[in-house]
Amino acid sequence: MATDFWLSKLMYDLQDPKLREEYRADRAGVLSRYKLEPAVVRALETHDINVLAPRVNAYLLRFYYQYSGVKDADFMSGLRALPKDYLNG
Amino acid sequence: MAELVGIFAASHAPLVAREWDNFTPEVRAGLTRCYDKVGARLRALKPDVIVEIATDHWVNFFLNNLPAVCIGVGPENEGPPEPFMRKVYNNPVIANHAGLAKHLADLAFAADFEPALSHRLTLDHGFCIPLWRAGLDPPPPIVPLLVNEIEPPMLSVKRCLAWGRLLRRAIASYPEKLRVAILASGGLSHSIGEPTMGAIEIEFDKESIALFDKGAEQPMIDYFEAKLPTVGNGGHEVRSWFIAHAAAGSRGFELLEYLPVPEVYVGCGFASWSVQ
Repeated sequence: MATDFWLSKLMYDLQDPKLREEYRADRAGVLSRYKLEPAVVRALETHDINVLAPRVNAYLLRFYYQYSGVKDADFMSGLRALPKDYLNG
Repeated sequence: MAELVGIFAASHAPLVAREWDNFTPEVRAGLTRCYDKVGARLRALKPDVIVEIATDHWVNFFLNNLPAVCIGVGPENEGPPEPFMRKVYNNPVIANHAGLAKHLADLAFAADFEPALSHRLTLDHGFCIPLWRAGLDPPPPIVPLLVNEIEPPMLSVKRCLAWGRLLRRAIASYPEKLRVAILASGGLSHSIGEPTMGAIEIEFDKESIALFDKGAEQPMIDYFEAKLPTVGNGGHEVRSWFIAHAAAGSRGFELLEYLPVPEVYVGCGFASWSVQ
């Protein structure tokens, strides 16, 4: 699957604590500034790793789940459950 | 003339800083022993400058601007931006040695290399964890050599080795009297944000160490070009070690410690090369 620039950009930008605060308070407002597919927006709401993981660099994905407060054990369990060919999905 | 006085490598897992106070005494003692070995030798050499090689972890660069190699050539760089790093390594500004950095850049372009240049970088945990744990706080001026080890495509093994030779030449030909050390940050095996996250590939680490120990470049090129695409993504950071290795003339490797640390998800490697 091709890299999703805007999803990657969101995850990159969320390294900024101020944007993270804004994201928590007004997620829709922040997401409106990124050209995201509706399926990606839905996946962000539920942390759906099956949709997010194939679209971004693995380090950015890790940052995003960390900032979202997902515990490493849960994140890693989600990663392990990905289909073997998830990057080509 | 400048003198190359030491060449080292050390791992840089962010969890070393983030979770330091939560580790068991055994984990802290193991990591302390490893970093102390690098730190004691490095500090004893009293370098005026350290050329540090590391990847950028999405701090300076993003997908809209992603150089394969970038040299920091300004008078200073920003210290680590990560809150967990600022707590342990509070150096908001880290001096650079612009003269040596510019000389390296000039030599690179003259030799048909095309690095990006930055007049003000931010040095994330990749740069600062080894400096912190090696007791270089504050550090001497750091010439940052950022190598993309995070987002494919990346430098070939052969090109990394060529960078190492270029770096050695740059140091040897710099006209100022200067004691220069090289510090390669990163590796060995780890996997971040992938299904194998947390796995430490001891077999890969041991084979990597054996190849550095033997020194010869062609077997390294053959092995790593085939193997790196198949191991965890953090393994790509061994590229920093290739540059250090070639800067040493591809010989004189000495393993200081190898410690797989599941608590930080990294097969931690610590090494030195002879500069004779």
